[in-house]
Amino acid sequence: MPKYTVKFKIPKHLQVPMGAVIPSPKTENEGMITGNWRIVRPVIDHEKCTTCLNCYIFCPDACWQLNEKTEKMEWNAKYCKGCRICINECPADALTAEEELNFPDGVVRLDVPF
Amino acid sequence: MAKIFEVTIWATGVLQDMEGRHASLLIANAADKAGKFVQAWDNYADLPDRVNVPLRKYARISDEEIEMRYEYENEHPEMVIIMQDAIIKGMNVLWGMPKGGVLVINTKRSVDDILKFIPNKDLLSKIVTVDANSIAKVADIDFMGGEGGVEVVGIGAGPSAPLVGAACKVTDAFSLENVVAVAANKDGVKKGYEQAVVTNL
Ligand code: SF4
Ligand code: SF4
Repeated sequence: MPKYTVKFKIPKHLQVPMGAVIPSPKTENEGMITGNWRIVRPVIDHEKCTTCLNCYIFCPDACWQLNEKTEKMEWNAKYCKGCRICINECPADALTAEEELNFPDGVVRLDVPF
Repeated sequence: MAKIFEVTIWATGVLQDMEGRHASLLIANAADKAGKFVQAWDNYADLPDRVNVPLRKYARISDEEIEMRYEYENEHPEMVIIMQDAIIKGMNVLWGMPKGGVLVINTKRSVDDILKFIPNKDLLSKIVTVDANSIAKVADIDFMGGEGGVEVVGIGAGPSAPLVGAACKVTDAFSLENVVAVAANKDGVKKGYEQAVVTNL
């Protein structure tokens, strides 16, 4: 029995493990899909992109990743909420906002909003 | 128990919180003028709302007293109103709709463009499109008040007015003249009614 339980005399039925255990989200957490909030999406111009990784740093949902094989930035439609932060932060003007309904892809349709 | 006409309104979080609520209030107040029993409220589970997150607002109309008034979600909406068209890509907006319902959507796009993003469109009997943002000249109005609060400048000054005006074209649960009577932007309601494009499916 751990020491603290003895010290504070916590009754058996109130004992809980220290901290909590959650399943590791690894790179994605399906319980927190925000891609269905999007009104606009950031579209990248790979010609202009310098792979400075500013968008990777600033995106609150880590939607931009550098693909090291192709050396291009990749965008994750399932979690991008269209907040435009990456567009504002891109120093090379490589990102532009385009209306979501212009694209048939990137559909993340939920029954209940997250 | 008499039949209850349920309306669900989808709006963008924070930006359209007030306009979405006004749409439900316009519907309820207009039907109230015709002597119906009505209810209008915000979806409890969406509050407090967050920017861009889809919100629901509800209205109910009935000829008799609404016995289900404490059930806080519309589970079988016969009419769904969408304040911002991109929501159809992110939500199953026809959730719970019985077959033969109607969809009213604020969009500048064509009906075919919209239907591409509605996989369960066989539930619909009619779809109404109207560019309410252009008619109201604003997409969203600064938010104020709250559910149950007093709306100082009146209800329906923004896109909710033309949108509910357009909805009058496909229902007899509330009439155009009563919506005009309760809305702040009366001209907007009439323009919405005139410019609405109704497509039978
Ligand atoms: S911030 Fe702009 S230039 Fe930098 S990696 Fe992202 S898209 Fe490329
Ligand atoms: S728009 Fe916002 S959520 Fe989407 S990639 Fe850019 S920073 Fe991330």
